[in-house]
Amino acid sequence: MIEVRGLSKTFGAVTAVSDLSFDVAAGIVTAFLGPNSAGKTTTMRMLLGLVTPNAGVATIGGRRYADLPHPSSQVGAVLDTSGFHPAHTAHAHLRLYARMGGHPRSRVGEVMDLTGVAAFAGRRTRTLSTGMRQRLHLATALLGDPRVLVLDEPGNGLDPEGIAWLRRFLRDLAGQDRTILVSSHVLSEVEQMAEHVVVVREGRLVAAGAVANLYGAAAVHLRSPQAGQLRTVLLGRREPAVTVEATGSDALRVHGLTSAEIAADAAAHGIALHEITPERPTLEKLFLDLAGGTV
Amino acid sequence: MIALVSAEWRRLTASRLPLWGLVAALGSGAFAGLLALVGPENFQPPLPGLETEAGTRMLLGMLGILAFVPALIGTTAVAAEYRHRTITTTALFAPKRWTALAAKLVAYAAAGLGYGLLTVTVAGIALFGAAAAKGVPLGLPTAAVLALLARIALTMAVYTLLGVAVGALLRNQVAALAVLGGYFYLVETALLLIPGANLLYPYLPGGAAAALTGFTYMADAVAAQTGQSAVALLPASLGAAVLLTYALLAALVAVAVPLRKDLT
Repeated sequence: MIEVRGLSKTFGAVTAVSDLSFDVAAGIVTAFLGPNSAGKTTTMRMLLGLVTPNAGVATIGGRRYADLPHPSSQVGAVLDTSGFHPAHTAHAHLRLYARMGGHPRSRVGEVMDLTGVAAFAGRRTRTLSTGMRQRLHLATALLGDPRVLVLDEPGNGLDPEGIAWLRRFLRDLAGQDRTILVSSHVLSEVEQMAEHVVVVREGRLVAAGAVANLYGAAAVHLRSPQAGQLRTVLLGRREPAVTVEATGSDALRVHGLTSAEIAADAAAHGIALHEITPERPTLEKLFLDLAGGTV
Repeated sequence: MIALVSAEWRRLTASRLPLWGLVAALGSGAFAGLLALVGPENFQPPLPGLETEAGTRMLLGMLGILAFVPALIGTTAVAAEYRHRTITTTALFAPKRWTALAAKLVAYAAAGLGYGLLTVTVAGIALFGAAAAKGVPLGLPTAAVLALLARIALTMAVYTLLGVAVGALLRNQVAALAVLGGYFYLVETALLLIPGANLLYPYLPGGAAAALTGFTYMADAVAAQTGQSAVALLPASLGAAVLLTYALLAALVAVAVPLRKDLT
């Protein structure tokens, strides 16, 4: 859906992005992760035609953004540096860009209801809180009901309530089979939605792919008063992928088997289990492992 | 393109600029009316009266001096896109950037013409009203006065385009306003003082506008102060052509230059 090939960009002596290539698959949420100054924003701006790359190309559906017919009907974007005219009301802002994008006036009311902007539609934008502004940004991006959304740090500056709203909102959007590329520092925003991740550091690709693959084999944590016996049983399966690690006198961490397989083995051998918990590494851990930076 | 022009018109009308424009246009027109009512013969130093051709021309020319006001409005409007960072959203909705700037030029040309027409209408009413109140005829035939007023309105539309171009090029609202104001108030007048360089004056926007509106007060005043002979302005038609050329060049530059600039 989105293809980034060999993108490079320098600003003076600073290399922001260097020979970056990755794909964003259609219909799923892809988290775009990286520490500060990793080149995420510059990459998104090159994808949207706002910044001209020194080399490489970024396309959406096989075309560069500027070559898309009715671009705002195909791609919606929220960028952290976009602004509003302070004297415009929220409603006037949406009417103006609906007109510019060729979207029907009725769509303005729809996106205002969808994002909660309707509650402050008549207020001038200079009086809006950060949360309200972010809702207005999202409403603007959704004017053309695009199937692709590019969101750069959509949670920046939001209070916990705002972040909770944003998470619910993005989850709803993701449930509508939209293609979403979202960069964020707040990994909990995207944790439950992202199926794919693209991790960059110092303008270069560190990793890209399905979250499940990048996590590697999931581990299962279990506790049993007969931990030693259970260990012998599990290793007795003679499956090369299975490893069993003792993490305490009555605790084991098992790789290569599902919770159901372990429980079945334990039951078959009459071994009592006090706890059996699949361990899912967090996106934050994955990010720290891959990018080697701080979130 | 119609949608883009309409969107730019909406952007303009949804802000408070039209209100300020209205105040400025009414104020400019009323200012000319006030001067007419006071009478140029009562100025210090006394100038030819309203009933003389020179007096009437001078009062109309005062309006020409105020042509920089719509230029400032054009600059403010376009530079505000950069100042408030709405340019990013605009570039997302109209990624072929020349289309958005061309739409701005069309919208602001119309706005500038509207500003000019409003100003000269108020000024015209005030001028004829003042002459009637004083019981003297204007020093020019009515048709000539109306033609001059129309030229002033046209000048204001062209100046608005020049303002839009400066705003699009400089991006920084304060710098753009300073450059524009400084140019019209200082640079062109200063050039008049420099022997040799003042030959350029007729071909500069201010000089061309003065030729179009028949207002030679600035050139004459400088000549009187310095003892030089006054710079000869172009014929009105040539002045109009020079001014339109500036507008076209400004439009071209405004459309072409920002095309590849990064919006970071």
